[in-house]
Formats: sequence, structure tokens, C-alpha cells
Amino acid sequence: MSLFSVFSISGSGMIAEQQRLTAVASNLANANSMGDSTGQPYRAREVVFEPLPADSGDADGVNGIGMGGVRVAGITQSNEPGRQVYDPGSPLADDKGYVQMPNVNTTDEMVNMISAQKNYQADLEAFNVAKTLLQKTLTI
Amino acid sequence: MGALDTGLDFYSTVLDLRGVRQELLSADIANASTPGFKGVDLDFREALAASLAPGQMVSGGASAAITMLVSDEMQTPSSAGVGARPSVRRSVKYQDNPAVSLDGNTVDLNGEKLEAAQNALDYEAAVNFTTQLVSMLMTAIKGSSGTSRSG
Repeated sequence: MSLFSVFSISGSGMIAEQQRLTAVASNLANANSMGDSTGQPYRAREVVFEPLPADSGDADGVNGIGMGGVRVAGITQSNEPGRQVYDPGSPLADDKGYVQMPNVNTTDEMVNMISAQKNYQADLEAFNVAKTLLQKTLTI
Repeated sequence: MGALDTGLDFYSTVLDLRGVRQELLSADIANASTPGFKGVDLDFREALAASLAPGQMVSGGASAAITMLVSDEMQTPSSAGVGARPSVRRSVKYQDNPAVSLDGNTVDLNGEKLEAAQNALDYEAAVNFTTQLVSMLMTAIKGSSGTSRSG
């Protein structure tokens, strides 16, 4: 019955938005991480969504739904140039005394966060509506 | 069967299709941030007409402003049951939504939520009608035990 697949569809949406929120949290937490284990500044992560293909019985956690939930296709790292800070005393400074900072754009991240929150709410709403409808159906 | 389940049959189709539409709208909402995703919707009137026997459908106003058939395999409902029926499949169309974001996504989240709420209300209405029909049938079977006919 199609209303049952709403649960897996909205559920997949909530999982995906959660992962997006995780990326935002990671970016904000690392907005000043100048060097990771390779000595490079942190680069902003962004999740990319893709619709679940039809009949994706093998997709993680979503079984046998035809019409598409959503999943995270991958996580990309932003190639935007990071800002440079003049700090000759830093051990990470280059010859001219500049330190490469992460390319995290906090404004973008906040917008991303609100968008993820709104989409999560919408998914949850759709989930609850399907639940209510099925409960009503049981009263026939 | 005969007269007993004719009306129930109609409402079962209506509930099925409302469920399919709810599924499609939920999928749109879930994919509100997916790059390149085109919002879809069920042309309910057309789907209902295609699912019913000729003459069972009451004709009326024009159907929703959605025109293009869904061609993307990823976005067609192929779930078991009613979604797999070709008559329903043919009525699933791309939304005619002019607002396209930079990543090619055409889902209008507010519009989808509105449509989903409306569809849920229609579903509940169909449930209520079905309940009434069942109670009418029960009355016909049992007789109206509530009123005193013996006296």
C-alpha cells in the first residue's frame, strides 16, 4: 500500500537532511582549523543528494519502495580559495608570512542549516500526515 | 459482486489513488534539496477516470495544471500494487512549476506542503464517506435496531 512507503520516503529524507546538518556542524566547528593531518587547511564539506532509483530494494534502510526517497550521493569538498591571514609568527605561515585559513563561509553554512531544518520539518510533517491517514483508515 | 460492494469499490479506488498521490508529494518533499529533481504530481481526475469502469465517473471541471508526462525512470512510481498499474502511471506528471532553482530543482516546498495537506483532507473525507457507507450497509443488513419498530 502506497501510504506505507511514505514512511520510508520521508524517513530517507530525514536521514539525508540529518547528514546535511552533520556536514554543516562539521564545517562550523572547523571554521578555524588551519591544519589537518596533512598540514592543509580544512575544506568545507557539502553533501550531494540524489533521488533513490525505482525499486531500490537494496538501498540502505529503504526497502522495496518504487517512488523515490532521497539519499546522500556523496560528500564533496569545496574548492573555493580560503582566506589568508597575515601571521608571520605562526608555524603554518608561508614565506611571506601568510597563513591559509579554511574556506568555510559561515553565512552559507547558516543558510544551509536553516534549509536543512525546514526540509527536515517538512519530511516529518509528511510522515505524521501518513500516520494520521493510516489511523483514520483503520477506523473504517 | 452485486450492489453491496459497488460503492465500496469506488471508495477503495479513491483511497488507493489518494495514497499514491500522498506518496508522490512526500517524495517531492524528501527531494526538495536534490539537484536536478523535477517535482511530480498525480493527475487525480485522470487517474480516477482511468481506474473506474466507464460511466462510473462524474464529469466536471478541468484537471490540474500539470501537463508533461514523467519520463525519468527514477521518478516514476513502480511500487507494488496500485502504483504499478499503467493507468495510474500514465497520470503521474511533472509539475508545471516555473520556479526553477540554480541546481535545476523544481520542488516548491510550500506548494507541496499545501497540496499534501489538501490531499490528506480529501483522503480523510473519503474515509468518512466509506465509514458512512459501511454503516448504511450494516443498517440495511441488521435493520435499524436503534429505533423501536415493534411498538
